[in-house]
Amino acid sequence: MSIWNYVVTAHKPTNVTHSCVGNFTSPQELNLIIAKCTRIEIHLLTPLGLQPMLDVPIYGRIATLELFRPHGEVQDFLFIATERYKFCVLQWDTESSELITRAMGDVSDRIGRPTDNGQIGIIDPDCRLIGLHLYDGLFKVIPFDNKGQLKEAFNIRLEELQVLDIKFLYGCSKPTIVVLYQDNKDARHVKTYEVALKDKDFVEGPWSQNNLDNGAGLLIPVPMPLGGVIIIGEETIVYCSASVFKAIPTKPSITRAYGRVDADGSRYLLSDHAGLLHLLVITHERERVTGLKIELLGETSIASTISYLDNAFVYVGSSYGDSQLIKLNLQPDAKGSYVEVLERYVNLGPIVDFCVVDLERQGQGQVVTCSGAYKDGSLRIVRNGIGINEQASVELQGIKGMWSLRSSTDDPYDTFLVVSFISETRILAMNTDDELEETEIEGFYSQAQTLFCHDAVHNQLVQITANSVRLVSSTSRELLHEWTAPSGFSVNVATANATQVLLATGGGHLVYLEIGDGTLTQVKYTQLEYEISCLDINPIGENPNHSQLAAVGMWTDISVRIYSLPGLDLVTKEHLGGEIIPRSVLLCAFEGVSYLLCALGDGHLFNFLLNLNTGELTDRKKVSLGTQPITLRTFSSKSTTHVFAASDRPTVIYSSNKKLLYSNVNLKEVSHMCPFNSAAFPDSLAIAKEGELTIGTIDDIQKLHIRSIPLGEHARRICHQEQTRTFGICSMKYSQSSSEESEMHFVRLLDDQTFEFISMYPLDTYECGCSILSCSFADDSNVYYCVGTAYVIPDENEPSKGRILVFIVEDGKLQLIAEKETKGAVYSLNSFNGKLLAAINQKIQLYKWMLRDDGSRELQSECGHHGHILALFVQSRGDFIVVGDLMKSISLLIYKHEEGAIEERARDYNANWMSTVEILDDDIYLGAENNFNLFTVRKNSEGTTDEERGRLEVVGEFHLGEFINRFRHGSLVMRLPDSDVGQIPTVIFGTVNGVIGVIASLPHEQYVFLEKLQSNLVKVIKGVGGLSHEQWRSFYNEKRTADAKNFLDGDLIESFLDLTRGRMDEISKSMGVSVEELCKRVEELTRLH
Amino acid sequence: MGSLLGDWPSFDPHNFSQLRPSDPSNPSKLTPATYHPTHNRTVPPPNQVISTEATNILLRQFYQRAEEKLRPKRAASENLTPDHGFKQPRGSFPDETSN
Repeated sequence: MSIWNYVVTAHKPTNVTHSCVGNFTSPQELNLIIAKCTRIEIHLLTPLGLQPMLDVPIYGRIATLELFRPHGEVQDFLFIATERYKFCVLQWDTESSELITRAMGDVSDRIGRPTDNGQIGIIDPDCRLIGLHLYDGLFKVIPFDNKGQLKEAFNIRLEELQVLDIKFLYGCSKPTIVVLYQDNKDARHVKTYEVALKDKDFVEGPWSQNNLDNGAGLLIPVPMPLGGVIIIGEETIVYCSASVFKAIPTKPSITRAYGRVDADGSRYLLSDHAGLLHLLVITHERERVTGLKIELLGETSIASTISYLDNAFVYVGSSYGDSQLIKLNLQPDAKGSYVEVLERYVNLGPIVDFCVVDLERQGQGQVVTCSGAYKDGSLRIVRNGIGINEQASVELQGIKGMWSLRSSTDDPYDTFLVVSFISETRILAMNTDDELEETEIEGFYSQAQTLFCHDAVHNQLVQITANSVRLVSSTSRELLHEWTAPSGFSVNVATANATQVLLATGGGHLVYLEIGDGTLTQVKYTQLEYEISCLDINPIGENPNHSQLAAVGMWTDISVRIYSLPGLDLVTKEHLGGEIIPRSVLLCAFEGVSYLLCALGDGHLFNFLLNLNTGELTDRKKVSLGTQPITLRTFSSKSTTHVFAASDRPTVIYSSNKKLLYSNVNLKEVSHMCPFNSAAFPDSLAIAKEGELTIGTIDDIQKLHIRSIPLGEHARRICHQEQTRTFGICSMKYSQSSSEESEMHFVRLLDDQTFEFISMYPLDTYECGCSILSCSFADDSNVYYCVGTAYVIPDENEPSKGRILVFIVEDGKLQLIAEKETKGAVYSLNSFNGKLLAAINQKIQLYKWMLRDDGSRELQSECGHHGHILALFVQSRGDFIVVGDLMKSISLLIYKHEEGAIEERARDYNANWMSTVEILDDDIYLGAENNFNLFTVRKNSEGTTDEERGRLEVVGEFHLGEFINRFRHGSLVMRLPDSDVGQIPTVIFGTVNGVIGVIASLPHEQYVFLEKLQSNLVKVIKGVGGLSHEQWRSFYNEKRTADAKNFLDGDLIESFLDLTRGRMDEISKSMGVSVEELCKRVEELTRLH
Repeated sequence: MGSLLGDWPSFDPHNFSQLRPSDPSNPSKLTPATYHPTHNRTVPPPNQVISTEATNILLRQFYQRAEEKLRPKRAASENLTPDHGFKQPRGSFPDETSN
């Protein structure tokens, strides 16, 4: 790999952190707005449900999200504050459907200790000010003037240092906050302050309440007429105002999220750490609170945010499981639950660990993640590309073409499958036993290759061979009419639809026929100047049986042309350039947009926008799909039309949000494809590949496919063992008995096909699994699972004891072969020169696998290396060991065979708190740290002094904005050695927010080119809310901010493809590179993930 | 319990009225378009780029006290006229441009 890296998101964040409901996109429309860390999503409430409108990337990690309605406005504004102390106020411009920035700013202070409990951002219900609590002891005020404009911000000293929550109270003549805080004796209290805007200070508020529940953590302000605040504790819920104090006890629970139901604030939904949903009701009489009631409604995902939508529908946003749309029913179901889950929105977060495996052994990487937490823990199998689920297959060599035909025009299903070979044509049909068997269509000519077949109107079929066009009755199967090629000419290429035939013979002769009831009529003939290489008359206009246009691909001048029908008048000619002839053309329409696709003999594909009225071709784009000739065919899946491009790298072309997308089909090579929708195999495709004819159904047309395996417990480590076809996981199960909560830890074995638990090994009390590895040892052919553990004793700061357990899988069972006690937590295990390398607290330890006299095996310590704070992450390559430390960044160790010792070779002297490391190549190491940055360091072997050689040089820095838990070498896409993209090495990462990303090492030339493209894109694609891309991607921690270097933002670069043609032209001009070339190069990058 | 649960708020009775419950094991796959603004209004109006006042809290209080001390010395009429004549909502200041 290299130091020039390209970072791109393969799966966007799915962890929902905030949500709110309001009239954002129009005064009449109700929107749900959700934040997924670095993105917001705007949804519309409709009769059909939640309709996603827009996914908005934000150049920052969202700390607070609030909708508010300034005085005099008819629509809500959106306030967003980011963790890096930027904020913006967004407004939806209904006319242009754009987000516009009403205000933005920087609210950082030069001096100040960032709050421990997260940032708080709140808006006064009467819109007099925005309040921010970002640093201990400071409350920042951004006042509004009477026109709703924001004014200069100022700080107020806040005496309470350990703040847990702050909210504005409703109905106060002066803006009033209520502060929930902890004193230095760990007791919790609430206090109110009035904000005196003119004096820029607090005035003691109307009331306070001391000595609350020790677990009080959440404030809910109650709207007028009741006013006051609800304080949610772990064992009590309290209502408090200047005059009323009411409390009720609750079952011990930690409430994470609340959602207000009624505008008057009399009912709230509360969700706790176990995902139990409660309804909290304030009972009141004559605007005076008389009591509180709480009722259990049912169970959902563990919520991080709850938004009541409309008509008893509620959005539950989750960080630990899938988010949900639920309905609150009036009557309980059989299990006593009032909650009905109607929709589920996938969330991969937090991805704690993952592995990359090729389960189907097709050369196609799949990512298996440990996702979710607590009861919502799961494994997720994430696969790129579209799979074919094989239903039937026969061996058939030398297929030259395939078409499916119906036995009558009205038949919804296909009956025949015409398979053409070099000198014959065979016809397959489904028999009564739903088996494919060979049959005959008497009117077809079977002693020659078929060039084209199609269903025709009036229960007819058309077959085109080199010598003739045959019209055959689909009911009697007899020949009705035949058009014969003039003597001396043979048909080279042909196409047809239900009423038309277009064919070309040698010498550039183009013949147009029309199909009548029992007749074929030659309507037009013309001679073109060159040979014709491909044709298409797929009807995409108003008449589904008749096309007004014909697409023609040409030899010699390498052009694609549009002719009008029936006149065969040339409408448009487009030179493709180069020397590779077009091999397949296709007229098609996606989402109401018409396109001309034209595939070349070298695996490239052009697409044009086609104006159906004028025949004009615009917006030419080129992509590289493979290296071999492509054949294009349309097919339908779930009543949407897509295009299948058969080649050495089969691809499905589809459209989403009016943009063409290319998704790999997970098959190695496909020579021909035709849809085959038979009664026995509905919605199937017939696929010719490698001497085989396969009938199969196709996956949903999307790029990433995610399968979920709910575990009911929290998987924390995973690894795959190829030899036993199993996964080993370390997991943790919480059990909640009435009195006590306990956690149990396990090593579990899962079948890698069914994902069923097949064996389990319980760990000791307090013992938890920290690492798992599948490996073998020198002089031992067996493969083992090695598990590193730690005893997490409640009074210990760091574990002082752990174990390494060595298991073998026998008869599908985990058998413990050896165990070794360690003096700390075994954070990492690596296979190293036939030995086992473990990271145990501050030490790196190497173990030999020794044979005892009695034939049993044991781990024996060989050597070690001290000198880390906590060696959390270890990777090795040859004799080199790369260690990621808790707080001392990356260091490089070397194992010396002769001396049997491990020594430090070099280190990065920065104080980075690592979250994971990986070795990119011999000299370059990749690290991720807890301020959401990525960086690369390089070994300096050529340094002249020991000091220089002992220093790892920081070569790349980038702010990803995501907390990475794991890097793994591998690829999400099938790698073809002869494609350009196949040469680019990649590392996959998984994050807390559920992001799966790819880091690709680029050749220097490509890096420089893309860097230039990125700097041009920054000028065209603006940061939402006026936030700066450069600042966002700059490396940032408490000590230092530095411009990003040697990393490119792939998400920004790939958004080039979403731009309008005009904007693309703009960039093309300033780059001095054609739009076609830019599109092609960017499109290639999208195929990395 | 019926009394607590019923009567859920409704803003538009049509919302969700035609929702067909999808198979909960089959997650929702609708993906919204990604927004890439290219217009010029991502930049806020010039007076709406907000920063924090530079004066630190101690100095501000110091000046405020000094001002308060000065205040009684001013002619009473100067102070009273605006207060009664042009009453403004609290918290409204003359528009200051930040920065």
